[in-house]
Amino acid sequence: MSASVGSPTPSPSIILIPAYNEADVIAGVIAEINDTCKLPIIVIDDASNDDTRSVAETAGATVIPLPTQLGAWGATQAGLRYALRHGYDIAITMDADGQHAASSLATLLRPVVGGVADVAIGTCTRRGSLMRRIAWHMIKQASGLTLEDITSGFRVYNRKAIRQLAGWRATLLDYQDIGVLLLLQSKGIKIVDVPVNMHARKNGKSKVFHSWLVVAYYMCITLTLGLSKRSMTKHFYRPEAAR
Amino acid sequence: MISIITGIIGLLVAAIILMLVRRDNLHAQHGLGWIAVALGFALLGFSPGIIDWAAHSFGVTYPPVLALTLAIVFLVIKILLMDIEHSRIQVRQQRLIQRVAMLEADLKALSRADQSPSGH
Repeated sequence: MSASVGSPTPSPSIILIPAYNEADVIAGVIAEINDTCKLPIIVIDDASNDDTRSVAETAGATVIPLPTQLGAWGATQAGLRYALRHGYDIAITMDADGQHAASSLATLLRPVVGGVADVAIGTCTRRGSLMRRIAWHMIKQASGLTLEDITSGFRVYNRKAIRQLAGWRATLLDYQDIGVLLLLQSKGIKIVDVPVNMHARKNGKSKVFHSWLVVAYYMCITLTLGLSKRSMTKHFYRPEAAR
Repeated sequence: MISIITGIIGLLVAAIILMLVRRDNLHAQHGLGWIAVALGFALLGFSPGIIDWAAHSFGVTYPPVLALTLAIVFLVIKILLMDIEHSRIQVRQQRLIQRVAMLEADLKALSRADQSPSGH
């Protein structure tokens, strides 16, 4: 179970990949990770309609097959609960669309393994379009968060953070960004930004934000959440970019 | 005439709720609240003087306004409680779905270990 990602990481670590209809690209993502490190890979299949499950299993991953669709965060939380249940100390979450470069794993793991932070977020702010940047700015203003890339799913969590996110309060969340980050900060968990490289999506389009209506709904939910939980951040750690 | 109709509707609703509880279509816990509401309707229907008296006591000049305001407040509270309960059920259901999926993954791993030649 021990990690080996460039530099030695003594803590048992696991890679979690929530996936929905990613049969075309998931094998490539798993192969890229396997070429970089020998960590166990868990694909959480969010009730896909295609062959994501069998393709991921054939590629060597363990699959957690959700019987009904829970969304990206519900699937990620299932993975975090699995990690907690199986005694892993570090969980790395990656997208299934090939955006996250496995070559950045060592960089992303460093602050968490070194005890500098409890959570590291792989940031790549240049990937944002103008609209995305405006949305980020609005969300940050509403929530009081100062992190760079609040929507990035390329993250490393230590056991303290995993324990918080495996709880029922996190189950109420719809998305992995604002709600998750505010919950973690309210528990005094240290979060750092880590600049990483990201690829373009292998299948072109976001599965979560597939229409403008969904984006509008997301913005309303996120701004409500940010405003309602804003005060939770004021006494806690101000994250700094880990260079 | 309208008060008699309201009273009859109240009694009818109370009877329907009792029937739903009897047939296990409605939890007794929810049925109790609705029976109280229905009987309240019946009471106000058959004795409209109660609402006139209450409106006069609170200084409301047009009594039906008080009745409607109380009804709206009750409905808002009820809907809010329903959403709170719905959120709770959603959390339980989601965690159950996650647990079933985790157990299925564990079961598959155990089955693979049993089938492997070395028995591991």
